[in-house]
Amino acid sequence: MDKKRLKYFVISCTSVIVFLGIWYLCTAVLELVRPTSLPDPVTVVKTFFYKLTHKAPDGATLMQHMYSSLRVALMGYALSLIIGIPLGILMAWSKPIDLLASPVFDFVKAIPGLAWAPMMIILMGIGIASKGVTIFISGMIPCVLNAYVGIKQTKEVHLWVARTFGATRRQMLFKVAIPTALPYIITGARVSLGACWMTIVAAEMVASSSGLGYMIQQCRGIYRPDVIIVGMLTIGFLGSLLTALLGCIERALVKGRDYEK
Amino acid sequence: MSKENVKVQVRHLTKKFGDLLVLNDVSFEVKKGQFLCVVGPTGCGKTTFLNCITKLYEPTSGEILLDGEPVDLRKHNVSYIFQEYSAMSWLTVEQNIAFGLNIKHFPKEEVKARVDEVIAMVGLEKFRNYYPNQLSASMLQRVVIARAFATKPDLLLMDEPYGQLDIELRFKLEDELIGLWEQLGTTIIFITHNIEEAVYISEDILVLTNKPTTIKTMINNSLPRPRNVTSRSFIDLREQVTELIKWW
Amino acid sequence: MKNKAKQKQIAIKILATIFSFLIFGLLWEMLVRFSDVGRVMPGPLETLQSFFEHFTEKYSAYTLPEHVWRSLRRVLTGYFFAAIAAIALGILMASYKTIDAIVSPLFNMVRPIPPVAWIPLAILWFGINDGSKYFLIFWASFLSMVQNVYAGTKSADPKLIGAAKMLGANDGHIFLTIVLPSAVPYIFSGLQLGINSAWAMAIGSEMIRSTDGVGWLIIRGMDNNNLLQELVGILAVGIVGFALASVLRGVEAKLCRWNKRGT
Repeated sequence: MDKKRLKYFVISCTSVIVFLGIWYLCTAVLELVRPTSLPDPVTVVKTFFYKLTHKAPDGATLMQHMYSSLRVALMGYALSLIIGIPLGILMAWSKPIDLLASPVFDFVKAIPGLAWAPMMIILMGIGIASKGVTIFISGMIPCVLNAYVGIKQTKEVHLWVARTFGATRRQMLFKVAIPTALPYIITGARVSLGACWMTIVAAEMVASSSGLGYMIQQCRGIYRPDVIIVGMLTIGFLGSLLTALLGCIERALVKGRDYEK
Repeated sequence: MSKENVKVQVRHLTKKFGDLLVLNDVSFEVKKGQFLCVVGPTGCGKTTFLNCITKLYEPTSGEILLDGEPVDLRKHNVSYIFQEYSAMSWLTVEQNIAFGLNIKHFPKEEVKARVDEVIAMVGLEKFRNYYPNQLSASMLQRVVIARAFATKPDLLLMDEPYGQLDIELRFKLEDELIGLWEQLGTTIIFITHNIEEAVYISEDILVLTNKPTTIKTMINNSLPRPRNVTSRSFIDLREQVTELIKWW
Repeated sequence: MKNKAKQKQIAIKILATIFSFLIFGLLWEMLVRFSDVGRVMPGPLETLQSFFEHFTEKYSAYTLPEHVWRSLRRVLTGYFFAAIAAIALGILMASYKTIDAIVSPLFNMVRPIPPVAWIPLAILWFGINDGSKYFLIFWASFLSMVQNVYAGTKSADPKLIGAAKMLGANDGHIFLTIVLPSAVPYIFSGLQLGINSAWAMAIGSEMIRSTDGVGWLIIRGMDNNNLLQELVGILAVGIVGFALASVLRGVEAKLCRWNKRGT
């Protein structure tokens, strides 16, 4: 690493250390804030390890909560991909469907996914189904949008090449439009994953009996910010992990391509 | 000219865009295996003309016959090289060249054989697995040309394919094109506004007028190959064609 | 001639929009009439009726527009301050490597945590009233905007900057004439994201702990098994969300006329 980059790297490391130091100072040493408002970093680490195996104080271990959240989130996510991507492609490829579906879709797009949760709960009760559908709605929107934009990027000249070779409309869709849209579809899948993950956490805070969102909401009521912070960090970590995994898949699928020419 | 020998018949082709009359009653014939260059002033509808042949535009009136029948891109074997870059950015060189063959559902072994054949003709064997973003402009055009020839088309349409290249590359690719044409006997309609190019590669030159476009004249180019751009006869022919374009 | 074609396009779009909502309403009505869902869920006409009724009739302490306004007030306040903070920090971070080096690692640690996950902590710190909501809305919009401002400021063509420096321009001048115009489209894109985040967070935080607002309306409906109230709430949320996004797009179109993007 050359001198300048090393300098900035050191500054960054120092920044983090100073931050942690101030945090520790204000909490454990000077006790400027109560531990029921903000715990010190050491306590947070201890609580993390504790929660991995202990059910107290909210009723389930960290692992159980993680499993619960991940399971429902991924189910809803899978549904979003399966329905959202073809829908987006269809809307972009067929003018009549676009004209008919877009207005309603634009309206639904403006409604935050979580707003559907109560309605789903009344219709399906508190449980996986209502959470799953809420997540599905949240996750479906970026899938549709990105697939739509991707297909619309199809270059007319590419379609003409296919046409002069005698391609049917179906061939043009599968051999030109969809390959063009692939990078956008994958971006949509990535955004959708983020949306699904955020929605499950929120939905669990509204009405659930398990999951990471439930856990941190419960621990607010009993003034355990250490568990809350553990929960927040876990949520953040899992979200990053999922996104990184998807990033690997993305790189594998679109290697070599550049979308300039 | 016997009927079996005629590849393309254009009869009273007229094309209007709204009120704008672009092509006005154009009629002519192209023989099988002929190399025809179409020249004319800029914006006179040369591209429109090609697009009518391939049914990318519907003619307002008149008809275009290929082998005696109206053009049907699924039945007839037509290739079109556009003015803009048209290589697919998500396919390798090899896959690009095979594109037309795959659309036409050629069997796998034949696809491979033809791709190998054509890729050798344009000298891109080493670049088989490269993507378009890794290639230079002239290589990209070669890919597109290889793709066009891979289907062994009855009719090849080219719209100013070498417009973006420098002179040295131009001549090189023009020579390659002539070589491919001589080897495969394809009927070619080649549009260009570069008169030198037209005189260099064509057997016949169709001169179009300004809008509303009609045929000014058809000139036969019987200069012996290989052609020498500095020879007297070449320069004469070039000046002759230039005059025709200028004074309408 | 071009105007005629454009007018025709707009007319088709308007007709299609009306038709689209009509079909949707029809499907909804059929679902309610001919299936079990109809026992709990009201149809479109009933929903619309209730929607307009509550312009004067109250839900608890306020009418529908008053609830909407309460939500909007929170959103606009939090959003406004977040925008200022995000633009300031984004530009600073992109312009001064030292600031970037100090702030980035902290930022990257916090960024993966979805704003919703902050709700319990915020309530713990700021109480169940508006304080926590303002904080959350501010934080949610701030997070989604900083990235864009940063990218936008960095997007200025270094060649242009080099040329300007050669001609003797000072840093301030370069900033105003080259960097800022280049950053504007990104900033607007960020502002769009920000308003969506703000609106979503407002609804979300109201759903979790509130006494008024559109989010409260929706969650109250759930507690009382009142699907009608929820649907009215969802309708209101959609309309306001759509309006906010449209206004922002309109402002952007006016200011960024040289940079018309595709979608």
